[in-house]
Amino acid sequence: MESIDAGKSDLAAARPAVETYVPGSTADFERLYRNTYRRILGTLITLVRDQATAEDCAQETFERAYRSWGAWKPDAPAEAWLHRIAINVAISDRRHQRLRQAGELVRRLGRPPHGPDPSVMAERSDLVRAMKKLPTKQAAALVLRHYHGYSNREIAAALGVPEQTVASRLAAARKQLQAVLPR
Amino acid sequence: MNDFESEIEHELRRVLGQLDNAPVPPRRTVRSQSTRMRALVGGAGAALTLKVLSGVAVAAAAVTMAGATTTGSLDPTVWGQQVKERVADCKAKLADGQHGIGDCVSSFASQHGRDVASAARQHGQDNPNAHGGNPNADDHAKDKVHPTPRGRSGVEPEPTDAAGGHPPVRVTPQP
Repeated sequence: MESIDAGKSDLAAARPAVETYVPGSTADFERLYRNTYRRILGTLITLVRDQATAEDCAQETFERAYRSWGAWKPDAPAEAWLHRIAINVAISDRRHQRLRQAGELVRRLGRPPHGPDPSVMAERSDLVRAMKKLPTKQAAALVLRHYHGYSNREIAAALGVPEQTVASRLAAARKQLQAVLPR
Repeated sequence: MNDFESEIEHELRRVLGQLDNAPVPPRRTVRSQSTRMRALVGGAGAALTLKVLSGVAVAAAAVTMAGATTTGSLDPTVWGQQVKERVADCKAKLADGQHGIGDCVSSFASQHGRDVASAARQHGQDNPNAHGGNPNADDHAKDKVHPTPRGRSGVEPEPTDAAGGHPPVRVTPQP
C-alpha cells in the first residue's frame, strides 16, 4: 500500500492553531464549542443521513463531551477527542436511524426556510452520498484525513486504534468509492 | 497523493467548506441528574407513578375480593377450619384398609366454590346499586360480606362466619 502520509496536503497547515483549554471549565468548554462546532458538524454531515441528523448528533457530541469535560486530559488535542465522541455518536445514530425516521420528518417539515444550506450541497454531492453508504469508521477516517487534514497517526490517536487500522480503513474506503463514483 | 485522493479532498472542501461561514447555534444545555430526577418525580413521571400505584391497589383489592368470594368470608381462617373438619370427616369415613382422601376433599372444595359463586351472583342481581349507586351501604349490609378489617374496634361488629351467616354447604358422600 502506498504511503498515505507522504503526500499530505496543506490541510494540516490550514487547521486552526491548537488552543489550550482547562478541563472542567465551563467558559473553556464554551470556547471549545464555538471553535470546533462547524468542523464537528462537517464530519457528521458525511457520516449521517442528513443535515438535521448531523446537527442533532453534533449537539449530542457536545453534551457527551461536557459530561466528561472534567475528566478530559489535555495531553491530546480537544478537537480530536471531540471527533472520537462524534464518530461514536454517528455510529449509534446509524443503528437507531430507522426508529427516528418519523421524528426527523416532522422536524424537517417544521424547519423554517433560511439561506443557502450547506447540507443541500452535501446531499447533492456524489462523494458525500457515497461516503454515507460506507461503514461509519471508514468514512470517518476519510473525512478526518481529507477534510480535516489529520495524519494517520493523529487519526489513530484520536480514535484509539492502531495506525495500521487507520490505513486499512482508508484503503478500503477509497477502493469502495472508486468502484461507485463516476470518473 | 494520487489524483483520486486529490479529487476527494477537493470535493470535501467544496462541499463542507461552506460550513465555515455558517452560524454556530447555541449549545444545547446538558440536563443535570437532579433535573432529570425532578422530571421523573413531576410531570409525566408523576403520572406514571400514580398509574403504577393505582394498578397495585386495584390488584390487591381484586385478590382480597376473590378470596372473600371463594371462602364466603374475608377471614381465611374460616375456610381453613372448614377444610380441616372436612378432612377429619373424610378420614373417618375411610373403610379399613383404604387409603387416600383426595377425592373426598376435592369434591367438597369444588362444591363449596360453586355454592359461593352462585350466592355472589344472586347477591349482585338483587342489589343493582351494589357497585356504587347508593352510598348508603346499610340498606343491604345484611347481604354483603362486611369489609371491616380484623382487629378493628368500633361500632361495627367483627366479621365472623357464624352459623347461618354463610351459605349452607351440602356434602355429598362419595360412592
